[in-house]
Amino acid sequence: MLFLQLLLNGLQTGAIYALTAAGFALIFGATKIFHVAHGTAFTIAGYVFLFAWGAGWPSWLGVLASIAAAMVFGIVMERLVYRPIQRHEGSFFTVFVAAFGVSIVVQNIIGMIAGRGFATVDTPLSFSAEILPEIFVAPMLWISLATAGVLFVALTLFLTRHPAGVALRALAQNPDLIRTYGLSSNGLSVLAFAIGSALAAPAAIVTAMTTGLNEAIGHHVMLISIAATIVGGIGSLRGAALAGMMLGIAESLALTVVDTQWAEAVSFLVLFGFIIFRPAGIFGVTQTR
Amino acid sequence: MIGRRGALATGLALPFIRPAFAQTAEPYVMGSLFPMSGPNAEFGEAFTRGAQVAIAHINADNMLRRPVRLQSEDSQALPQPSVIGMNKLINIDRASWVLSSWTATAKAIAPIGDRAKTIMVNGGGVGPDLSGLSPYFWNVIALAHLEVQAIVPFLVNQRNVKRVALIYVDDPLGDGILGQLREQLPRHGASLVGSYSVPRAAQQFGSVVARVRQSRPDAIYIASFGAQQAQIVKGLRDNGVTQVICSFSGFGLDGIRTLPEAEGALFTTQKLDFESGDPITKRFATDYQARFGQAPVTYHANYYNAAYLFGVLGRQVEQAGGEVNGETMRAAMLATRKFNLVGGEGEFDELGNMLTQLQVNEIRGQRVIAVG
Amino acid sequence: MTAFLINLATLAAISGILASTLNFIVGYAGIFSVAHAVFFGLGAYGGAQVALLLVPNPFLACLVAAVIAGGLSLCLALPALRVRGEYFVAASLGLQMVAATLFAELKPLTGGIGGLVGIPRPEILGTIVPVLPLALAALALILWATARLQRGTFGRTLQSIRDADSAAESLGKNVNAAKTLAVVFACAGAGVAGALYALHLSFINVESFTLDQSIQIMAMVIIGGAGTLWGPLVGAVLLLSLPAVISFIPFIPPTEVGAVQQIIYGTAMTLLMIFRPAGLLGDMSKGKSTA
Repeated sequence: MLFLQLLLNGLQTGAIYALTAAGFALIFGATKIFHVAHGTAFTIAGYVFLFAWGAGWPSWLGVLASIAAAMVFGIVMERLVYRPIQRHEGSFFTVFVAAFGVSIVVQNIIGMIAGRGFATVDTPLSFSAEILPEIFVAPMLWISLATAGVLFVALTLFLTRHPAGVALRALAQNPDLIRTYGLSSNGLSVLAFAIGSALAAPAAIVTAMTTGLNEAIGHHVMLISIAATIVGGIGSLRGAALAGMMLGIAESLALTVVDTQWAEAVSFLVLFGFIIFRPAGIFGVTQTR
Repeated sequence: MIGRRGALATGLALPFIRPAFAQTAEPYVMGSLFPMSGPNAEFGEAFTRGAQVAIAHINADNMLRRPVRLQSEDSQALPQPSVIGMNKLINIDRASWVLSSWTATAKAIAPIGDRAKTIMVNGGGVGPDLSGLSPYFWNVIALAHLEVQAIVPFLVNQRNVKRVALIYVDDPLGDGILGQLREQLPRHGASLVGSYSVPRAAQQFGSVVARVRQSRPDAIYIASFGAQQAQIVKGLRDNGVTQVICSFSGFGLDGIRTLPEAEGALFTTQKLDFESGDPITKRFATDYQARFGQAPVTYHANYYNAAYLFGVLGRQVEQAGGEVNGETMRAAMLATRKFNLVGGEGEFDELGNMLTQLQVNEIRGQRVIAVG
Repeated sequence: MTAFLINLATLAAISGILASTLNFIVGYAGIFSVAHAVFFGLGAYGGAQVALLLVPNPFLACLVAAVIAGGLSLCLALPALRVRGEYFVAASLGLQMVAATLFAELKPLTGGIGGLVGIPRPEILGTIVPVLPLALAALALILWATARLQRGTFGRTLQSIRDADSAAESLGKNVNAAKTLAVVFACAGAGVAGALYALHLSFINVESFTLDQSIQIMAMVIIGGAGTLWGPLVGAVLLLSLPAVISFIPFIPPTEVGAVQQIIYGTAMTLLMIFRPAGLLGDMSKGKSTA
């Protein structure tokens, strides 16, 4: 019974990880920018929803505001921070440090405005009922799984059917090809940031309702997104989402074998193992570059 | 939210009031080393407010010949920034009295304060390892083992608790509480049925709660800090645990009090009756309410005491014709031992730990009510 | 004032050692590690235990720290031999997170979250010595070694590895041996910094050896200029003294001190990267300092 309960808990955590990881993977795949401020987009989206909720807005409006805020943040990062650095062919870590600086700033501004510490959206949706003996499930579980599923299908359709989506995938494969066809890789990278950041918003809203927010929450999300992107195989959205789900489940199921304090380390052990033994990830082409 | 923003505005207005008395004489500097940014900043803000009210009182009463100024440094609850801040407070601001919090900060600054003979006063951390760090390191808060001794009989006798599960962070505090629960519960005919250690940075507790539920506890004791303890409380309630939640003085934060899931939670603090006739307690409660627009809780009172004690000891030293510094104030403390502070009389032992009476509180309708 | 500056200088020298050694693998060998704090920590625990259990001799402490950190650096060398670039960043990230958990859990060795207290001050021949001259000496030694290695054959091998593994291999260079050696040297140096840190602070716990610390060391390297000899040192001094300088700004309300300082700090980091992407001492005209 404990196993089933932990599995269900893992699914809920996994859905959140999968969404943020897919966003990170999309941005990284298309632009090759290691967007460590992705966790910041998550934090902003969560707090915007929290404020909208607190101000009594209808929840659909809150969701839209939250998505819009995440998108705006992603686009601003791309235009004002990453692009000027890349113009100088800045190194991988230059981008990393710049993004890290931004995440420090945003975290502290949120702390000043929204108050420091724990904040949560109070809703009965996160309250579990006993559906089977010893098995407690909250409506949030189904909502988050359904959201993750729907968004993922929509994203896949967009990337395979819509011209802009196809171009995005092409950009990931071969940037030169895009230029030959006369498409703007600048415009496409803005698009990648907008969509990738937007994917963090639903995950942030679910988190605001279940585990709650604090201004430093983006840090952990960013780490998991990086881990999932690598485990899933760089450039593979499907891989990142699946790996995110897997890490969430692993973190939870690990509790059947190890003591609770090791749960978090499990994700990173999985990551470390993957890199040593299967560096290409689940869906990547085996190549060690 | 609005309350906090209002308080922020009050805070912003502060520095412009300060210069008014700064001209009269070179002020005494009292330092503070709290986490003012990062995940524990909520504590730093609460601690600072308590100290601000105390300093306002010391200055308003002209307790000392010179005014007192608060110099706040951000410790980030990390050793290195704490050490840099402590060196600045001692060597540049010439502070002879530093308010400290947090285990890492306390342990990192204790050797420095010891060498410089600077008094360090803790009113927040309750790990048993905070006792006896240095002759100049004092605690104005009862350390955790006393808190456990106070709540266990209450749980067993008043709430009929037989089985207790512990969720804790495996630091000296959590470890101390674990040891005390193991020892105290059987003594009162109850038992510890499970202990679950969580990493400090953990955010998701659904799975831990599943394990807790399996141990079928009547009560769950939480030994964590800041945002994390609120997350654990919400995790417990969301995942079908309806039993009593209890904790130590770390629950005395607004983030917990206003959390709907925390309704009915029990926690220990030092005895603090704001309705009592005690004039010091009453003045503190009234002025705190006036300044920050909300009722104070124990943490505010602790750091009020920690800062106010400087005024009391400093006056003693000044009246005896001595120079106000760490050594003279320590001698004055050891000579007097008993002080009238917020919450009543506090008595120090020779290690500099203040012994106070404890009470058990319950959160009812977002209010903290003493129940035993 | 002097004591304040001496403390700051000691911490800056220790950070300088960390940044210079990290620069050795990032800037010259192209191995992007975000696990440098792990080896800093290993050295600190090793050095602290020597001082606590045996003698507070700084040389012995540094030696033991270097051996432990250098020896265990094979954990880092292993993935470095298999993967490059962002894969390696993620591998070192995994190592950092697991190591931090281990530091918090292995109480008999590390004291857990509570840490090790009462580490004695360093003594040479029975007299207590300050850490500053020791740290400066170690820093000078490491800079000298870096400069020598960089100019020699070993340095050229590393740089050819950084630019392209396969090219180095085809030139008959032993890529694996060179990479491993570079990692061992850098991590042993971080270990020495750790021992000095433990002796200086008299207290260490896991909170000094987390991912945040690793990222800060990396930021020092990048902001100063990766692949330059003096850049990391400049970055270390800057990032360490910046918060200290900011804390002198008057009229910040006490409850907002931390946030305002952090906002200034983060903004400075971002702006520097936007306007000097190759770092303060990096060659802007080359555009591309690493990777």
